[in-house]
Amino acid sequence: MSNKQRNLLTSVLFLAFGVFFLIQAKGVPHKIESDVGSGYVPAFIAILFIIVAAAKLIITLTRKDPYDDVVEKSDDSLVGGVVTIAIMFVYMMAFEPVGFVLSSIIFLFALMNWFANSENRNIPIFAIISIIMPIAVDALFVFVIKMPLPKGIIGF
Amino acid sequence: MVPANMIAEAFANTFTPMCLFLIWFGTIIGIIFGSIPGLSATMAVVLFLPLTFGMETTQGLALLCGLYMGGISGGLISAILLKIPGTPSSISTVFDGGPMAERGEAGRALGVGILFSALGSILGILALMFISPLLAMVCLLFSAADYFAVAVFALSIIASLSGKDMLNGLFAGLIGIAFSMVGMAPIDAAVRFTFGNYQLMSGFDITVLLIGVFAITDIILSGFGREHLADKMEKKKYKLRGYGLSVQEFIQQIPNLIISSIIGIGIGILPGIGGSTSGLLAYTTAKNRSKYPEKFGTGIIDGVIASETANNATVGGSMIPLLCMGIPGNTVAAIFLGGLQVHAISPGPLIFDKSGQYVYGIYLALIISTIFMLIFERLLLPLFVKLLDIPKHILLPCIVVMCCVGGYSANSRVFDVQCILIFGLLGLLFKFLKIPSTPLIIGFIVGAMFEENLRQALQAGHGSWSVFLTRPIAMGFFIVTIISCFMTVRKNLADKKAAEAAGKAFDTSEEEG
Repeated sequence: MSNKQRNLLTSVLFLAFGVFFLIQAKGVPHKIESDVGSGYVPAFIAILFIIVAAAKLIITLTRKDPYDDVVEKSDDSLVGGVVTIAIMFVYMMAFEPVGFVLSSIIFLFALMNWFANSENRNIPIFAIISIIMPIAVDALFVFVIKMPLPKGIIGF
Repeated sequence: MVPANMIAEAFANTFTPMCLFLIWFGTIIGIIFGSIPGLSATMAVVLFLPLTFGMETTQGLALLCGLYMGGISGGLISAILLKIPGTPSSISTVFDGGPMAERGEAGRALGVGILFSALGSILGILALMFISPLLAMVCLLFSAADYFAVAVFALSIIASLSGKDMLNGLFAGLIGIAFSMVGMAPIDAAVRFTFGNYQLMSGFDITVLLIGVFAITDIILSGFGREHLADKMEKKKYKLRGYGLSVQEFIQQIPNLIISSIIGIGIGILPGIGGSTSGLLAYTTAKNRSKYPEKFGTGIIDGVIASETANNATVGGSMIPLLCMGIPGNTVAAIFLGGLQVHAISPGPLIFDKSGQYVYGIYLALIISTIFMLIFERLLLPLFVKLLDIPKHILLPCIVVMCCVGGYSANSRVFDVQCILIFGLLGLLFKFLKIPSTPLIIGFIVGAMFEENLRQALQAGHGSWSVFLTRPIAMGFFIVTIISCFMTVRKNLADKKAAEAAGKAFDTSEEEG
């Protein structure tokens, strides 16, 4: 994506958010007569959103910048990022039903394997760390901080 | 409570085995986070903030002080041995630390860096101790209208923390304010922006936002760049006796120490300018006033001393507006402000009356942390150097688990764990759009102050905005805000012209970390 396209996307996104926020702010009930109401400041912020987004849109469309069309090259892996997000998503969704210890063991093992390459993949070490770390953290929270973490449906 | 009693209570609370252990622990962990490139002082404070919830207030703040102090100092280890600054604050340490290491003087550079980091810290803390009470007395004269002006001024920090594109910084700041409005409103407790989700009634927790935007985003980015996670960095070997300099050399460096400290403290007090700027400014000043400026950059201790003294002096300096006015000067200070709020401490002019024992506790914790840093960063140097070898593919997943535990412990609810990922993805969107994240935090923290004082001032002025024109303090802050924004815009335009003249693209996403 070029710089210009990125700036256009930013302007449109925040313009839409500003309009949405303004509509929501208008719906906030006014409770105290002498007060400006709880929707006043949000509406003020929403209008600022719209003004800033409109300014950025106008600047982007009218300005001539030699770097506007520059597309930055990156060797980042889209699959790498998406799978990382997916692993995190599954872990955070499983945090309560599966329990902290079990979900963390599976998560740590999965993400370490995903982050490692074929040269530094060491399954036994990954397995040991994946098991020890969640159990140690759970013990810290249960016995020292006195705040139990979710145990899940199998109580572990 | 009488100040003497508060000081006595602060001493009693701080000089307990548990509190001293927490300061030591925080300092060591901070140094580790500061020294490993990819981790940062910010991440250290964010990750350990939830652990302080259940602690006694002085102990919790003491841990955060240790993390902050250690995190800023730890960056010098990788700056010298890897020529990669562990934190942005140590950028200018690379200039002479790197060449010294290449010449086989890595140990001397490390020793000098550690010693002068500690001395810079002490001078910064002394400034904090003497300037804060005076500033707090002045701030006692403030009304709601003045506080609103202070909030506007605090939001103007966004301009200087916005990298090179102020509009993008404004978006981030406004999003932060918008998020701060979710849940029950101040004054009339009206419920807003919850969309029927009862979990949102209490709003978003600052810890959850911080963990998501600063830690999870970075780890997701590591996923995008996982091909390079295993890239090896060339690490220089070192030998060190004492702190690597003679008494005579130390005496020669005293003017450099004093000038760099003053620069660091001054930059710390000014909102929106971080440790990297103070280090660079002190380095340039030391070079300009040196009898041998041509030697700077070739590996001399003067450059390392200027950089490390200034960036650590910034810690104390940044605490001054933070404690007296609730204005966070940089990213870590913003997170520290979150820590104060978590422990029900309201920064402002009354902080010395209402929470004096904790403020004096912070002073003591910073001093003790500096002493620990001086002793243990030197003694445990071989360990810290060894830790640079921890593989990222093992470290980062463990940090995610700690993030989730941190998010959960904020309110003991899984909803916060899920919010961490949502904020992590928001941070990712910001990176993609080249929007800086720090203004988001400033907006979130200052948002509540902004709204409450605006509404109170308008109530007092019967709905008229002219109430702000009748207050000289408020007008003063508005004028300073306008000048600050004008200067930032002018600097950005000059930088842009310079970048175009040099034939480089203008990066809009720079920020302190």
